[in-house]
Amino acid sequence: MRTIENFILKFGQVDRRWIFLVLAIVVIIPILNPIGMPIRPTETTQVVYDAIEALPENSNVLLSVEYSPSTKPENHPMTISILRHFFRNGHKVFVTCLWPDGQFMAQDALKQVADEEFGKVYGVDYVFLGFRPGNEAVVKGIVSNIRKLYTVDVYQTKIDEIPLMDGITNFRDFAFLFSSSAGYPGTIEWVQYAADPTGVPMSSGVTSIQVNEVMPYVQAGQMKGVLAGMPGAAEYEALIGQKGSATSGMDAQSVAHLVIVLFIILGNAAYFIERKRFRKY
Amino acid sequence: MSSTAIFGGWIAVFLTLGIFSYLYKDNPFYKIAEHLFVGISAGYWTAIFFWTQIQPNLFGRLWPTKEFSGESLWYKFYNGLSWISTSVFPAGGIDKGHDMHLIYLVPFALGIMMLLSLIPKISWFARWGIAYTVGMAAGLRAYGYLNSNVIGQIKGTAASFSDPNLPFFSLTSPSIFNSIVILVGTITGLLYFYFSKEHKGILGKASKVGIYFLMISFGASFGFAVMGRISLLIGRFVDLIKYSSAEYFNASFWVLAIMIIILGYDAFSNRKPPVNEDVI
Repeated sequence: MRTIENFILKFGQVDRRWIFLVLAIVVIIPILNPIGMPIRPTETTQVVYDAIEALPENSNVLLSVEYSPSTKPENHPMTISILRHFFRNGHKVFVTCLWPDGQFMAQDALKQVADEEFGKVYGVDYVFLGFRPGNEAVVKGIVSNIRKLYTVDVYQTKIDEIPLMDGITNFRDFAFLFSSSAGYPGTIEWVQYAADPTGVPMSSGVTSIQVNEVMPYVQAGQMKGVLAGMPGAAEYEALIGQKGSATSGMDAQSVAHLVIVLFIILGNAAYFIERKRFRKY
Repeated sequence: MSSTAIFGGWIAVFLTLGIFSYLYKDNPFYKIAEHLFVGISAGYWTAIFFWTQIQPNLFGRLWPTKEFSGESLWYKFYNGLSWISTSVFPAGGIDKGHDMHLIYLVPFALGIMMLLSLIPKISWFARWGIAYTVGMAAGLRAYGYLNSNVIGQIKGTAASFSDPNLPFFSLTSPSIFNSIVILVGTITGLLYFYFSKEHKGILGKASKVGIYFLMISFGASFGFAVMGRISLLIGRFVDLIKYSSAEYFNASFWVLAIMIIILGYDAFSNRKPPVNEDVI
């Protein structure tokens, strides 16, 4: 028993850089050699999928992109999967950004999905309105009069000259909103200033760190489900039947979690053994 | 593969490994990556703000093409501004689909006042701009919070009890039991932050239950935070693996090797001499 305790104590004093190295190794190995762990959609993800499936064909849907390259591994697969789902079901997509970096994230996703995969026509099947600074004031602007806020799209084309913008004046003209968000301004501002006051249904895909913040809105029915971090993105990829980067990252995610749990258990055990011995003497 | 894509790959690898090198210790590679990130972010944000808001939505409303007249004093002043930059103030007014709204001179003036904080003698002007921003933001947020975070959340917590079709217990879907847990958690959590009475007796017990709910919540937050960080790590590793291919001339391996050699040499040359215990 004493030997085990000594081993655990020694482990508790190990240089943190060894822990970083172990973690790096356990993350890299499953990326290079995928295990193929099963992915089952959770209820919150299923609700997002069902909400989009329930929309009648040719609906006007708003996609708001509010993340930067720093959270690309979590948010980008969600944006790509949601765009695929929208275009597969024949919806008209309007893209806005509350973050300046969101503009080129959205551009990247639209190029991949709208142009290369579905061959959609700009201005007829989708419009890229781009970024406007102002945080919640932008959301309020979209709710009251989108044409006043966006007189030109991201390519500086006048809104009046874009066929898809005919009949679009405010947020109520959209059948659904999906916010791909990594923080402020993002999902919460859309709930507070757009979805709640107008009753237009919305869903969101958020980074893991935001899930606890956003979940109360889902539980209270103010949002239709949520894609929670990389697992949420992987579940959505499974639902639409098109695997992507989130699915391939989930093996590494699962193994890394196991190792972190092990480190936490050993770290706590070392702490309690040390405390017990300290009390004794 | 274009040379710019390859060069971009090498830059991405250098910056990623430069940031990761901080896990070993603070070093010049990390400093370079950090300073580049701060500088480029500030520059990018400024440029985007200017070209998506100030130029089209502010200047575009003050000097729109629609109402351009070479004879008017207002546009003569504009023509003078064109001398500064023709891309910001193009000839014939700014064509962004706006009508003229001179009321926008007010936010323009407030914006300039905020910039005056850089001049110590008249920095007090900035307070007016800040006062406007604070007042506007407070008013705007008050409604949103009240409607969604207070009324909406109270409704969400209470509504489930009124549904007769709700099962008593369910792990994955709404149930009476789950509603009771939410209700007890909300009330005891709020009681924990009630400091007008000493936490003794029933209040003490209830606030202790509140602490447990808060601890569970913090645990869940920590779990999600770990998951998020691992996701980002996976993203960087996926890119590093991509850039380690022959297409990118094995950028990841080369940059990693060079960094290890330089940091190793630095650690070797700056190592402290062993302490002579006899002298002590």
